Amino acid sequence: MKISYNATAQLVIALIVILVVSILINNLTLNLIKTGLGFNFSWLFRPASFALAEHPLPYSPSDSYAWALFIGWLNSLKVIFYSLLLSTLIGTCFGLFRIGKNALLRLVSAGYIAIIRQTPLLLQLMFWYFVAILGIKKSIISPMGNLLSISNQGINLLGVTLSAEFTSLLLGLSVFTSAYIAEVIRGGINSVNKGQWESFRSLGLEESIGLYKIIIPQALPAILPGLTSQYLNLAKNSTLAIAVGYSDIYAINDTIINQTGRPIEAFIILLLSFLFLNLFISNGMEVLNSMVTRSTKL
Amino acid sequence: MGNSYNYIKYIKRVAFSNALDSIISLTILSFGISALVNLFKWLVFSANWSVVSLNLPLYLFGSFPGDQLWRPGLWISLFAIFSFITLWGPRWSWLRKSLPFLWVSYAPLGIFLLAGGFGLSAVESQNWGGLTLTILLTSCSAIVSLPLGIALALGRQSTLPVIKNLSSIYIDTMRSLPLIAVLFFGQLLIPLFLPVGLEINRVSRAIIAFTLFVSAYIAEDVRGGLQSMPKTQKEAGEVLGLHPFQITYLIILPQALRIALPSLTNQAVGLLQNTSLMAILGLVELLGVGRSILANPEFIGRYIEVYIWLAAIYWIVCTVMALIARHLEQQMTLDKKDF
Amino acid sequence: MPPIVKATNLTKSYSKGIFALDNVCISVEPGEVLVVMGPSGSGKSTLIRTFNGLESFDSGQLNILGITLEGHNNDERNIHRIRKRVGMVFQQFNLFPHLSIIENITLAPIKVQKKKKAEAEQNALLLLSQMGIESHARKYPSQLSGGEQQRVAIARALALKPELLLFDEPTSALDPERVNEVLDAMRKLAEQGMSMVVVTHEINFAKEVGDRVLFMDSGKVIETSTPDIFFLNAKHERSRKFLNQIKK
Ligand SMILES: Nc1ncnc2c1ncn2[C@@H]1O[C@H](COP(=O)(O)OP(=O)(O)OP(=O)(O)O)[C@@H](O)[C@H]1O
Ligand SMILES: [Mg+2]
Repeated sequence: MKISYNATAQLVIALIVILVVSILINNLTLNLIKTGLGFNFSWLFRPASFALAEHPLPYSPSDSYAWALFIGWLNSLKVIFYSLLLSTLIGTCFGLFRIGKNALLRLVSAGYIAIIRQTPLLLQLMFWYFVAILGIKKSIISPMGNLLSISNQGINLLGVTLSAEFTSLLLGLSVFTSAYIAEVIRGGINSVNKGQWESFRSLGLEESIGLYKIIIPQALPAILPGLTSQYLNLAKNSTLAIAVGYSDIYAINDTIINQTGRPIEAFIILLLSFLFLNLFISNGMEVLNSMVTRSTKL
Repeated sequence: MGNSYNYIKYIKRVAFSNALDSIISLTILSFGISALVNLFKWLVFSANWSVVSLNLPLYLFGSFPGDQLWRPGLWISLFAIFSFITLWGPRWSWLRKSLPFLWVSYAPLGIFLLAGGFGLSAVESQNWGGLTLTILLTSCSAIVSLPLGIALALGRQSTLPVIKNLSSIYIDTMRSLPLIAVLFFGQLLIPLFLPVGLEINRVSRAIIAFTLFVSAYIAEDVRGGLQSMPKTQKEAGEVLGLHPFQITYLIILPQALRIALPSLTNQAVGLLQNTSLMAILGLVELLGVGRSILANPEFIGRYIEVYIWLAAIYWIVCTVMALIARHLEQQMTLDKKDF
Repeated sequence: MPPIVKATNLTKSYSKGIFALDNVCISVEPGEVLVVMGPSGSGKSTLIRTFNGLESFDSGQLNILGITLEGHNNDERNIHRIRKRVGMVFQQFNLFPHLSIIENITLAPIKVQKKKKAEAEQNALLLLSQMGIESHARKYPSQLSGGEQQRVAIARALALKPELLLFDEPTSALDPERVNEVLDAMRKLAEQGMSMVVVTHEINFAKEVGDRVLFMDSGKVIETSTPDIFFLNAKHERSRKFLNQIKK
């Protein structure tokens, strides 16, 4: 009786889903026939014939669409990687300020988090690009001699040139994500039993040593899952690159769709790219997680 | 006398407890004060706010026909009124009881007021814009994705493999995609999946795409709440002879939603912020209005004023939403010790 | 009258070789109060949870109120029929924290027995006054003390007018000075002729209210005696050892 009821329910649901999906696919085929596009991937190997301002590997417009997509991939990875580092650094600082002893630092940190989290990322990116970088009036600012020079062409740091687009994306993503990371760090540290603070203080350990040796190791298991989801968000948010004209995987996909008019194939490529990227990040964090749990369990 | 002495001691403890602390505090104070002074000077004397004041109706209502502005105007005012009643309104119980209903009907009311029909003249969706469109996108997507998200969460918890797997695949795939891709392909692909000849406007496509996206995130938040429920609550329902559906709807779900409320609030605030993505996908919601004004030769280069103004509006609306949610949280608290 | 509970050779194990129930045979007569005692992990909870289908079992026969329960894959409707007629009170009260006291009690009468709200509430208030806590009707569980919450839980179980009440260590989670208010409520129920199976370590309650004491160890029934015999003159060495331990 019970089993048959469940089986019927599942069958009904499965049938409904199949029905809906087949109606959708039917509509899709009809529409594709109407527009005369069809479905294939052979265009991937035709020349892309658009230029890319930034390419870590050699690229020219005569290279194939597939190669252009790969370059886009590398550009995405590059900005994700550096934003990840920078946002973790900034976020950790503000997270620690937020729970620290100094009331002014707490205030500054709270204000920072409130402003960054309650305004849209896209707006912030535009601000970094159009106001903070392109808006630089003086030709070159060099606060640290030859080490660092900033202009509306981008940043030159220790001889490495970063484009205006990359710089604004990097700063925008990092600052935005850092506010969320600060909250993750604060939550993690607050989750450690208050008695632990009292016990290392009663042993005469300094605040900074106690924090580093006692509190943070215990907070990490609570911090890492939150951090993982912020990193995943960062990776997904990096596609807003298109708003500042940085050629990441999504922006190149967009250009390709405009040129070839093949949204479905491009969508599949993008979907696979991101499934892969997500797997990559979550597995990386999983490894980190197991390292941490192993080291804290002793 | 003794009082001010205590203040001094307090300030010393929280900001000047040792040399490093004092240096940090003094630095923040000097930088902070000079930054605030400069900001104030700039805001009052240097900034040219005409880019805001001359375009106020655009920011609020987009290019809605001039003689019909009362419609979006009324709708936005209702948002302010409902928020005010929720947060500070009188404690009349009939009013309090009708609040959930008022909020639920807010989105449909908005569609009616903007699109027209039933006696109101029709206004094309191309003319919707500004803060009105931002709130419309947010409220419509939220009101549909909440039940959808709950259904997906329950589906993922189901013991029936077909339902469980379908829900999981949907949730995981959606959550691995960037929102801009979902929105962009929503604009391109949704028409392809509709019957030949049926067309829907860009706003509806955007709402569908947002709903598909957000419901996957809501599902995971709700699932977190469901998972944190102790098994004993289910058992207590079972021994009373309640049906499994009744246990879910009357006992488990209300508590799980209460637990998930803070993360659901974050989703709502995130949704409102993310509607700004439509600015680069062809809608003139709040950020889109800002972009189109900046493209107008008359206001070229007034980036800072426009961005600060937009940030302020977003900030206020998001903060109001967060406040309402916190209020709701307190109302729904399981730990009703303060009554 | 036929027994309310009739179990023969009830056996259950969670993991191979370790029995939570090992050939348990008991019966509970109408109006009887059966007290179940035994060391931790001996299978007391498992036993009474099979009585309303919260736990399955591997072999043996079980008949509750004339309805036969299978070990596994029971017909949902049979379990439902039993649960409508058997009430249960848990160690941790398990009240619904999002519902007020009166809503906790009226939930099942309204949703399961389809009673009218007014009627259900009237009955709930009556039950609450029997438990001596009618003034708390509109409060929420977290505003009540443990003893009060447990009395609400009893009232909630009684609201369905059950023919058998199961108690799983109802006073173990209470402060010592709160234990008696709950035991007194249970004593009154016994005086009214309610059939009850009570897992408890309260010796005085077992002596004064219990009709029989069932002692379990490692899933086996070691002995079943009247309280007089069990507490003064237990038949088994194992029982005497246990009694010595809990008297300390
Ligand atoms: N869900 C379960 N999974 C595996 N083993 C279980 C489970 N529940 C109970 N057991 C085991 O079954 C045995 C009997 O448990 P039961 O809870 O019935 O004991 P008890 O007499 O109620 O003990 P206590 O006085 O501690 O409540 C124990 O050995 C216990 O470890
Ligand atoms: Mg037990």
